[in-house]
Amino acid sequence: MLFFQSLISGILTGGIYALAAMGMSLVFGVMNISNFAHGDLMMLGMYMAYYLFTLLNIDPFLSLVLIMPAAFVFGYAIEKTMINRVIGHPSENQILLTVGLGLIMGNTALLAFTSDPKILTTSYSSSSFNLPGDISVSIPMLLSFLVTCLLTAVLYLFLSTTRTGMALRATSQNREAAQLMGIDVSRMSAIAFGIGTLLAASAGALIAQTYYIDPFAGHTFLLKSFTICVLGGLGSVIGAGVGGIVIGVVEAMSAAYLSSEWKDVVVFVLFLAILLLRPRGLFGRKGEQ
Amino acid sequence: MTKQWTGIATFAALAASVPFFLGDNPYIADILITMLMMAALASAWNIVGGYAGQFSFGHAAYFGAGAYTTSILLTASSIALPLCIGAGILAASLIALLTGAIVFRLRGHYFALASIAVAEIVRLTAHNLEITGGAQGLLITDITFGNLDLNSKEPFYFAMLFLLVTTLAISLLVRHSRAGYFLLAIREDQDAAASLGINLYLWKNMALVISAALASVAGSIYAVYIRFIDTSAVLSLRLSIEIILTTIIGGVGTLWGPVLGAALLVSLAEALRSNLAGELLVNSGIITEASPIESFLKNNLAHAHVLVYGIITVLCILNLPKGILGLFRRKQRT
Repeated sequence: MLFFQSLISGILTGGIYALAAMGMSLVFGVMNISNFAHGDLMMLGMYMAYYLFTLLNIDPFLSLVLIMPAAFVFGYAIEKTMINRVIGHPSENQILLTVGLGLIMGNTALLAFTSDPKILTTSYSSSSFNLPGDISVSIPMLLSFLVTCLLTAVLYLFLSTTRTGMALRATSQNREAAQLMGIDVSRMSAIAFGIGTLLAASAGALIAQTYYIDPFAGHTFLLKSFTICVLGGLGSVIGAGVGGIVIGVVEAMSAAYLSSEWKDVVVFVLFLAILLLRPRGLFGRKGEQ
Repeated sequence: MTKQWTGIATFAALAASVPFFLGDNPYIADILITMLMMAALASAWNIVGGYAGQFSFGHAAYFGAGAYTTSILLTASSIALPLCIGAGILAASLIALLTGAIVFRLRGHYFALASIAVAEIVRLTAHNLEITGGAQGLLITDITFGNLDLNSKEPFYFAMLFLLVTTLAISLLVRHSRAGYFLLAIREDQDAAASLGINLYLWKNMALVISAALASVAGSIYAVYIRFIDTSAVLSLRLSIEIILTTIIGGVGTLWGPVLGAALLVSLAEALRSNLAGELLVNSGIITEASPIESFLKNNLAHAHVLVYGIITVLCILNLPKGILGLFRRKQRT
């Protein structure tokens, strides 16, 4: 039973990891930038959900409707004013720029909200139901997972059917060729970063009920998102989706059968193993490393 | 090059005379020791990050390896301090070789991410093991070394200064040796360097081991100085990032950039922590002690130094990618 319990909770947590990692992977694919501020963008989503609930009494799942456009605009603006200036620069400079932006966001949140962890409690936060065989499923986690599936489906349709989506994928495949075909690649970068921020903030809002909210809550998810992106193939959005579930399950299994202290070590060892044995990941394009 | 040797010698002489002017001021001494430590760490990082262009995001692992090895050996046995520091160097070099075997196969983003992953594995291991004190950390009591008074600040000031000067000297030696030119070639273009017959793997690892060994000594001195270590103080990603920022802000790949960066950032952090801005405004009569501005500054700016680091980093990357020293050099030329 331990096996099935771990499997279920691993899949549910993995869904959130997937959502966070998809945004990172999209940004990497289109802009070729590793976004070290991604965890801090998640943290902003957590606080937005928290304050919309405590001040205006808006349910965290409904508040996504407000958080998503706000996050998109925020990400779009950051890209237009700062990040586009380092596209094509050495990767170290890009990383340091996003590290700097992350420090600014995290420490501004520290000044504004203090370091006391906040807890978002709704009427159903700690409710769960039992599947046959005594497997308990947390209701907020299940709802988060369903919303994640919905957002993933929308993202997939957007990328595969709309003109902008196709332009994004073209830019991701080959920036120069896309530019020659008349695609405004600099606008695509801003849109990609906007969507990346939107997905990060949504993931943050979805986990706001399950995790403590503090100014540096996003950092654990940052390294996990990188692991997932590399597992799925940096730049592959579908890979990040699958990778998220895989990492969620691996983590839950190692917590159940190994020990919860060592589960993060297992994830990082897996990360290094993928980098060495199959650097393009499960769904990555050949020739990237 | 002779000019730079003179520079190092002058710096060493000036810095060594500082305690005689300062007298007995533990507050200033503490700031100066931190400054020297960050300068030594940033200079050590600069050998692999600046000269060889391999941006390691996990240097806290080597600092922590030194700090933990020394603390464990000192508390568990009666091994003399220099041998403990030597064991720390050995431990850090081993971790560096292991890291190098993994991360130097990778480039760009993948290299940066892998170096973080290795450092996080080291941190989590120290956090989970019993010998390292786990989450509680390690406390060192009763250390003696010769007839030095280890309760005063002076021995640590000179130890950190000695380490910094040694690191600068090694940097200069490496930079102007055959190996140094290989490292620069690797930084500029790895494929071109390899095609000229430079063994990328060997030289990158050499730079990393030298850098790690120096960082571990800083860790050992720190552990004996503070007498308490835990994973968040000596192994955190935050420390790794601070080491890089110090170098970037001062001037990456230059001899004096890391020293300049450390001097600037540590004094900035201290100025914010002690609310220098607020005091200045009060003393000059612009605001009063009781005004809301003063209380805001007092309550908030103390924690704001990392925020200011972030702002400086973003401004530096966007406007001064060569650091403050780079700006100075360009002005000098024109």
